[in-house]
Amino acid sequence: MTTEIKRVLLAEDNPNDVELTLAALAENRLANDVVVVRDGAEAWEYLCREGRYAQRPPGSPAVVLLDLKMPKIDGLEVLRRMRADEALRSVPVVMLTSSREERDLLESYRLGVNAYVVKPVAFEAFMSSVSSLGLFWAVVNEPPPGSVRRAA
Amino acid sequence: MAIVTLVAALAIPGVSSGATSGSTVAQEYDLKAAFLFNFARFVEWPADAFAAAATPITIGVLGDDPFGATLDSLVGGELVRNRPLLVRRYGSVEDVDACHILFISSSEAGRLDHIARVLGRRSILTVGDTKDFAADAGIIGFELAQRRLRLRINLAAATDARLTISSKLLRQAQIVRSSRGRK
Amino acid sequence: MTTPRTSIRGKLVTAMMLTSTTVLVLTGAALVLYDLASFRQSLARSLATRAEILAANSTAALAFDNRDDATQVLAALRSDPSTVMAVLYDHEGRPFAAYPADVSLASVPAAPSGKGHWFEPSSVVVSRPVVEEGQTLGTLYLKSDLRALAGRVRIFTLVVVVAVLGSIAVAFALASWLQRGIALPVRTLADTARQVSDSKDFAIRANVVSDDELGLLTHSFNEMLSEIQQRDAALRASETRLRQLNGDLERRVEARTAQLETSNRELEAFSYSVSHDLRAPLRHIDGFADLLRRQAHSGLDDKAKRYIETISASAKSMGMLIDDLLSFSRMGRSELQNAPVDLDELVAEVRAAVSSDVADREIVWTVAPLPRVVGDPAMLRLALVNLLSNAVKYTRGRTPARITVGATEAGHETVLFVQDNGAGFDMAYQGKLFGVFQRLHGAEEFEGTGIGLANVRRIIERHRGRVWAKGELGAGATFFVALPREDSEANQDQEAA
Repeated sequence: MTTEIKRVLLAEDNPNDVELTLAALAENRLANDVVVVRDGAEAWEYLCREGRYAQRPPGSPAVVLLDLKMPKIDGLEVLRRMRADEALRSVPVVMLTSSREERDLLESYRLGVNAYVVKPVAFEAFMSSVSSLGLFWAVVNEPPPGSVRRAA
Repeated sequence: MAIVTLVAALAIPGVSSGATSGSTVAQEYDLKAAFLFNFARFVEWPADAFAAAATPITIGVLGDDPFGATLDSLVGGELVRNRPLLVRRYGSVEDVDACHILFISSSEAGRLDHIARVLGRRSILTVGDTKDFAADAGIIGFELAQRRLRLRINLAAATDARLTISSKLLRQAQIVRSSRGRK
Repeated sequence: MTTPRTSIRGKLVTAMMLTSTTVLVLTGAALVLYDLASFRQSLARSLATRAEILAANSTAALAFDNRDDATQVLAALRSDPSTVMAVLYDHEGRPFAAYPADVSLASVPAAPSGKGHWFEPSSVVVSRPVVEEGQTLGTLYLKSDLRALAGRVRIFTLVVVVAVLGSIAVAFALASWLQRGIALPVRTLADTARQVSDSKDFAIRANVVSDDELGLLTHSFNEMLSEIQQRDAALRASETRLRQLNGDLERRVEARTAQLETSNRELEAFSYSVSHDLRAPLRHIDGFADLLRRQAHSGLDDKAKRYIETISASAKSMGMLIDDLLSFSRMGRSELQNAPVDLDELVAEVRAAVSSDVADREIVWTVAPLPRVVGDPAMLRLALVNLLSNAVKYTRGRTPARITVGATEAGHETVLFVQDNGAGFDMAYQGKLFGVFQRLHGAEEFEGTGIGLANVRRIIERHRGRVWAKGELGAGATFFVALPREDSEANQDQEAA
C-alpha cells in the first residue's frame, strides 16, 4: 500500500542543524518533502503564502517543525500567530529545540503546541527522535484537511 | 467616868421627879457634887489663890455635909488645870483656910451674913442651895426648878472675889444682883 | 495617679488635735478630780471646825446638865441649810441634845467614838469629843449633806469643760495654721510630681519651699528629674540613631536583595542561554562526526574511526556536563513545593525507572516499608534517582547486585538509607564524596560527571536535612539521608487544609 508523504515545514536558522535534521529525515526518506525556512518571518510568509512564497502551491504542511530561537520572529511568535489564524490553527506544530527550560515548555504548551522535542547532543538520539517525528507526523498521522498530500 | 454616869442618869427626863424622896435627895446632892466639881473648870482664880503650881484646888463643905462620900469619890484622882482636887470639911467659917470652892450647907442658913463678913473678899467661890443664896451673899446658888437643877450666879460677888467665871457657865445660869449691898 | 483620700494637712491637723484634746481632757479630768477631792476635804474640815466650835460651846451645857442650852447651841446650825443632823452625847454615849430639835430617836445613830470624820453615800459626818479643861464631857455628832460638793462639782466641771472646749477651738485654729509649714511643701512636691508624671515633661522642677528635710527631698527630686531628663534625651537620641541605622540597614538589605535578584536573573538568563546556545554546537560536532563516519564509512581505517569516535564521545560528554551543571544550578534557585510524599511509592517508581535498562542484570532489591515524609516531590524524586542509579551503576561488577533501601525514625528525623554491595569507596575521601564534580573513580571504571551526589546534598540540605555515607573499598557503600520529621501540628494543619 502506498503511503502518502506529507509536506514538512522546517524552521531552523542554524545551517548545521538544518543539515543534521535533513540527514536524519533522509534516513526515513522524508527529506524530499521538507521545506526549509531560515527564520520565523520566512516561516510565516510560507504559511500565509505571502512574499516570496506567494506563488507556492496551496495547502498547509502536514507538520511544522519549529526552532525556538530564530531571528526576526522566534518560534513562539510563529506558533502564536498560527494558533490565532483560522486556516492555520489546526496545523500540527512540533517545537524542535535545544532548550529544556521550563518556561519555554510552559509557554509552548500554553500556546497549543502539539509536541515539544529537545534536540539531544548525541547524534544517534537526534536521528532517532527526528525519524520518529517525521514518521509519525508526516506519515502516520492524519493531518487536518487541507494539507498537502503527495501521491507516493 | 462615875461623874458622867451620874449626870447622865440624872439627865434623863422624868427620872428626877422633884419629889424629895430619900433616893432623890441623894441624887440631888450627887448632882450638886458634880456641879461643884465642874465649877472648878469654868472658874478662874487669881494667881495668889494658889501657893504653888501644884497646890490643889480645895473644895470645902461648911456645915453639915450633905454629900457624903460622893464628893470624895468624884474628886479623887482628877486634875483640873493640872491641879489635883482636895475635899475639906469645915465646922465653922473661921476654920476655912485655903479654899477655893466652898459649899455652904443649909445648916448655916442663919449665919450667912456672918460667913460673908468673915470671908470678905477672899477668892472663894461660895456655893449654896438655900433660898436666894446668890442674891444674898453667895456667888452661885443652886435652885431646883421644874425638876432641873438651875444655877443662879451673882456676878458682882464673883468680881468682888476676884473670880472670873467663864461665859459658858454664865450662860447656863441666871445672873442675879445682890439684894443686899456689900461693903 | 489616684487622688489620696486623706491629706497630709488632714493628718497633721488630726494628730495635733488628738494630742491637744487628749491632753486637755486628761488635765481637765485631773483638775476636776483633784478639786472634788480637795473640796471634800475642805468640806469635812469646815464641818469639823463647826463641830469643834459647837463642842466647845456645849461643854458647860453638858457639865451642868442644861439640855436647853445645849439644844440652843446646836440650833445655831439652822443658819446652814446643808446640816442634816447634830447630836450631842453625854459621856455614856446617850443622846443629850439634838438638832433638829424634833429629830426622832430612831434616826439618831449610836454615839461615835472620839474625833474623826467620814463620808456616807450622800453626806459627810464629823464627830468631836466635847472637852473642857482636859475632861471629856461628851461627844458631838454632826452630819451635813453634800449639796455644796455637788454644786461645786457641777460648776467646776462646767468651767473646765468650757475651758477645754475653748482650748480645743484655739488648738484647732493653731493646728490649721501650723500644718501649713509641713503640708504645703509636701503638697507642692506632690503636685509637681503628678504634673511631671502626667505631662512626661522632665524639664519641670519643683519649688523648694522650706529649709528642712522636705526641702532636701525637693532638691533630691529635682536632681532626679534632671537625671531622668538627661537619660530621656540620651534615650531619644539613641532611638533616633537606631531608627537611622535600621533605615540604613533596610536600605542596604534592599540594595543587596536587588543585587541578588539581578544576580539571579542574570544567572537565569545565563542558564537559559547556556541551555540553548551551548548545546547546539555540541550537537553539531557529534552530528557531523557521525555523518562523517557514515560518509567515509569504507574509507576509514580503525585509527580514523577511533578519532571520529573520540570527537563524538567528547561532544556527548560535554553535553552531559552542561546538563548536569544546569540542573544543579536550577536546583538551587527553584522554590520548594512541600507536600506529603509517600516514600514507598516514590522509591518503587524510581527503582522501576533506573532498572528499566538493566533488565539483563541480576539485582536483588530489598525495600523495607518506608514512612511518609514532607518535601518537594520532584526534587526528592531526583535525589532518589541519583542514589538508586548510583547503586545500580556501582554494583555492575557484582552478581547478584544487592541493593537495600530502608528507613528509621530517629528522634526528630527520618533517616533513609540506600545500601549496595558494589565498588564502595575509601572512607578517607568521604569528605569529597558530595562535592561538585568530585569523583572517586575514574571515568573508565564508571561513567558520570560527579554531580549526582552534589545534587542529592543540595536537594536534601534545602529540605533542612543531612546526607552522609559509609563505605568500604570493594565491599559496598551505604548512603544516608536524614529528613526532619514533620509529624507536628503544622503538618496536620496542612493536611487538614
